[in-house]
Amino acid sequence: MCLVLFWYGATSEVPWLFLLAWWVLALVAAAAGYAAWNRSGLSLQLAVRNTVIGAGSPAEQLPEQVLQRGPIPAPVFEGDGFGLEIAIQASRGARGPVWALGLVGDRSISAGTGLVPKGGWSRVEALPALRRGPVAARGWRIHTSDPLGFFRGVRPTPDSEIALILPRFASLAGRREASELEASLPVPRAGSGNELFGIREYRPGDSLRRIHWRSSARHGELVVREYEPPGVQSLAICLDPQPPTPEVADQIARIAASEAWDCIQEGGQVVVWAPGLEPSQSPRDLWSQLEWLARYPNNPSGGVPRSGRQEVVVITASADDDLLANASRAWVVGDVEIDTDIPFERVGLQWPL
Amino acid sequence: MAPVTRWLRLPASPVEHSVEGRGFVFSGFVVAVLAIVLYGQDYVVPVLGVVAAAIGHVISYRERSRRRGFWRQVVLAALVFGALFYVIADSSLALFGGVLPQANFAILLVAITSFDLKTRRNCYSSMWISLAILYLAAVYAWDYAFAVLAGLWVLCLVGFWIASHHKRLNAELKGPARPVALMLGAALLGGLLSFVLIPQPSGVPISPLVVSLPNFTAFKGGLESPALPLVQLTGDPSGATSSIDLHFRGRLGDAPVMYVRTGAPAYWRGLVFDEYRNGAWTATNHGYREMQPYVPPRFLPPAPPGNLGTFVQTFRVLRPLPGVINAAYPIQSLYAPVAALREDAYGTFHTPQPLRPGQTYSVVSFLPNLTPAVLRAAEPMDQEHLDAYPDNYSIYGDPSSVSARASNLADEVTQSASTEYDKVMALTTYLQRNYRYTLDLPPVPAGKDPVDWFLFDVKTGYCEQFATAETLMLRSLGIPARLATGYATGDYDPILNQAVVREHDAHAWVEVWFPGHGWVPVDPTPGVSPLAATKFPSHWAGGGIARLIPHLSIGAPAAALGSLGVLAVVPPAVAVALIAVLAYAWLRRRVWTARPRPQPGESELLRLYERLQRRLTRRRAPPETPREYQEAMQSALLAEVTQAVNEGAYAGRWPDPRRVRDLAERIS
Repeated sequence: MCLVLFWYGATSEVPWLFLLAWWVLALVAAAAGYAAWNRSGLSLQLAVRNTVIGAGSPAEQLPEQVLQRGPIPAPVFEGDGFGLEIAIQASRGARGPVWALGLVGDRSISAGTGLVPKGGWSRVEALPALRRGPVAARGWRIHTSDPLGFFRGVRPTPDSEIALILPRFASLAGRREASELEASLPVPRAGSGNELFGIREYRPGDSLRRIHWRSSARHGELVVREYEPPGVQSLAICLDPQPPTPEVADQIARIAASEAWDCIQEGGQVVVWAPGLEPSQSPRDLWSQLEWLARYPNNPSGGVPRSGRQEVVVITASADDDLLANASRAWVVGDVEIDTDIPFERVGLQWPL
Repeated sequence: MAPVTRWLRLPASPVEHSVEGRGFVFSGFVVAVLAIVLYGQDYVVPVLGVVAAAIGHVISYRERSRRRGFWRQVVLAALVFGALFYVIADSSLALFGGVLPQANFAILLVAITSFDLKTRRNCYSSMWISLAILYLAAVYAWDYAFAVLAGLWVLCLVGFWIASHHKRLNAELKGPARPVALMLGAALLGGLLSFVLIPQPSGVPISPLVVSLPNFTAFKGGLESPALPLVQLTGDPSGATSSIDLHFRGRLGDAPVMYVRTGAPAYWRGLVFDEYRNGAWTATNHGYREMQPYVPPRFLPPAPPGNLGTFVQTFRVLRPLPGVINAAYPIQSLYAPVAALREDAYGTFHTPQPLRPGQTYSVVSFLPNLTPAVLRAAEPMDQEHLDAYPDNYSIYGDPSSVSARASNLADEVTQSASTEYDKVMALTTYLQRNYRYTLDLPPVPAGKDPVDWFLFDVKTGYCEQFATAETLMLRSLGIPARLATGYATGDYDPILNQAVVREHDAHAWVEVWFPGHGWVPVDPTPGVSPLAATKFPSHWAGGGIARLIPHLSIGAPAAALGSLGVLAVVPPAVAVALIAVLAYAWLRRRVWTARPRPQPGESELLRLYERLQRRLTRRRAPPETPREYQEAMQSALLAEVTQAVNEGAYAGRWPDPRRVRDLAERIS
């Protein structure tokens, strides 16, 4: 269009068209220069900004103290939506217009702005509930142009994992026959063992040596350390290494997360693993277990859990005798026939159970 | 058929949701209409069009997401046809005054389609029609103030582009102010400088410029009144029997007669006279041929050999003028908005009625290659040439009306000249050097021949006397010559390629017959080029500006501002705004530089520290010291970064930015 206008204006007997043609041509040239300048110094960052807690989400039930130790800014469970923050940084001063396009999971997302200030620009895009597992940002590109939209530039950014959708869980303690299972196990309570159990407020009579000065300074009142007594519950949750379908894997992860939560909130330790897969770390940390379960069954391979005085719970969808050999009890997902003497409970794919 | 239809169909255009973009489209239309109002003196339709377009834009925006209604489309189509009927009726019958019918049609078209401005493509269409309106106004624009309107329209176009682009991105309409302003400023300034400094290429004109459509008033009798003010009316209104009486001459004022948009400065030739008797010129040949308003090249004499191309002139008449087409000769083609044209025996075209103010016509002329070398090499006049052309040599070569004194003088002046060209130039330069030009000349005494009186008594005169004397003296030497009248170039603006022709530019000169070249204009009036042939101007503005500088004086800028009218406020406002912006930028820069600036590496390291915390999925709690946080998180990289942060924060030793970049790469 510009060339046509320029040709016509340049050869027109009306000189004002020649001026218009020059202006349009100069605009195009200036826009090209602007577009080249606008391409540099931009970077894209994607992160979870907030969550929209769905009905029945564990996030509603978890105590504040537990949530504070969770992922930043908040854990995202199955059924929760979340806000994806698309942030563009301009390291060499304000830029614009800039827009970014890419995939989050299977969803195509775009966001753009006319101005990326020196301090950066961000927009939060609400995403609906996603399936358990890592959420990848794939194929994201930073697009730039001049303000008129004549010349464009594209810069790809590396794929990344922006969120981990954790399995849902709920306490299953009520479903089990507590008398059978729990009577034989010591109730975890604070004692005078060697391993740190936690902290609590100072009560008259506590030894001054047990005062945790740093925490006391933070809380504004005296806080003492508590040490766990010997013999707390130690739970090994062994999962089916090859769940037949993703839906079965989801259900196994949910049951495992529920078992882990029940154990940890009672002060116990949990390790989650599956044959051939690396066991989970940090046995007292709920979030470590949930992250392991979020990736199940695609966790890194290798290792076996440290053996010890543990209760072993198996959650499976297949009749694997080896898996059930050392189990104390089991959950069976689906209709598979198993031949075992250990107590087990059969569940379907509905959640909550 | 279906694939062809599918292929021909334009891709779907998105609905234009940008209210700012629509605002710019409307503003562009208003600017174009304003140009028509200011330069075309057309008021009613433009005002109605703007009001209707404003309403239409509002309705279109509010209903942009609805489906198009069938009946509305029918009504709009009917209105478009109504506007078409208007333009035909106005241009052919002048039912509505005949003022700028095409512009009015375009204005009505925009106003009507404003009610159906749904998609981005519709907006573009509206913008391009605005450009067409602006173009029509540009044909009538003869001053630099029009550049302000053109610039405003360009800004509207840019605004629409920006708003539309941002809306497409679903982004808010803002941007980095300084870079965008720099881009726009550079473009506007660069475009303006290019326009001023770079010559406009001369394209080959395809045809004359059609600005106004013809009316249909035909010739009612003989040729219309001749060209005023040099030519005196006689009892016969026919131009062929008009005359130039050298015994007296009227006063010529400074009022503009016409504007000429031209690719080259030239003499605008009107009537030609061949017979001189008793101090008066008349035309003896009364023959003519009638032609259509558009005269194509095939009806006109062939191109002069070795010509330098063609150029277009567009004339806009400012005051009532006789029905004579003044133009540069030789003509290649022409178009005049009249029912018919008549070409007289001397190649001059006539219109059925006097030319009225506002009327335009357009002519394409050849640019003959008339250099001294070429003319000097022209073949001598021999019997073969005399037989071939000019056809009435008996008159052109008639020495009977020349006095013996004048004839002797001609012989004396040209005795050393060998070629025809040298003879012509010897006479021309002799007259230019030895005779004084004046308009304050008393009437020729009774009984005196005006030429002899001029040559031997007063030795001062005006253009007719110079031209007449040379014509007769050339004839006495056997060189065919005749008197041409019309207008000199006028005040030529080399930047805008236009000339303002005033009454006092009325002029007379000599046309000399050169074998192989035809009639060549020669001007013996002092102070002008002897070889008054059309020349391409120095398009380079260096030459153009140099021509303008001598006219500048202390009062010139004020006069230039005054000529802008209402728009005169724009340049001072721009200047004040520019000064204010520069002052603000300077102050801001001072404040900014006075502020303590972070040391190199500081902000980068702190940003990296924040990033690392996000990566570790737990931020440092407010009461937590960096070291406590590091111990809690158990990360080797964090330990390094923490140490660097502590060193910077507490010891003032911020790391080198390169080290920060290394750390950042390790995080990635």
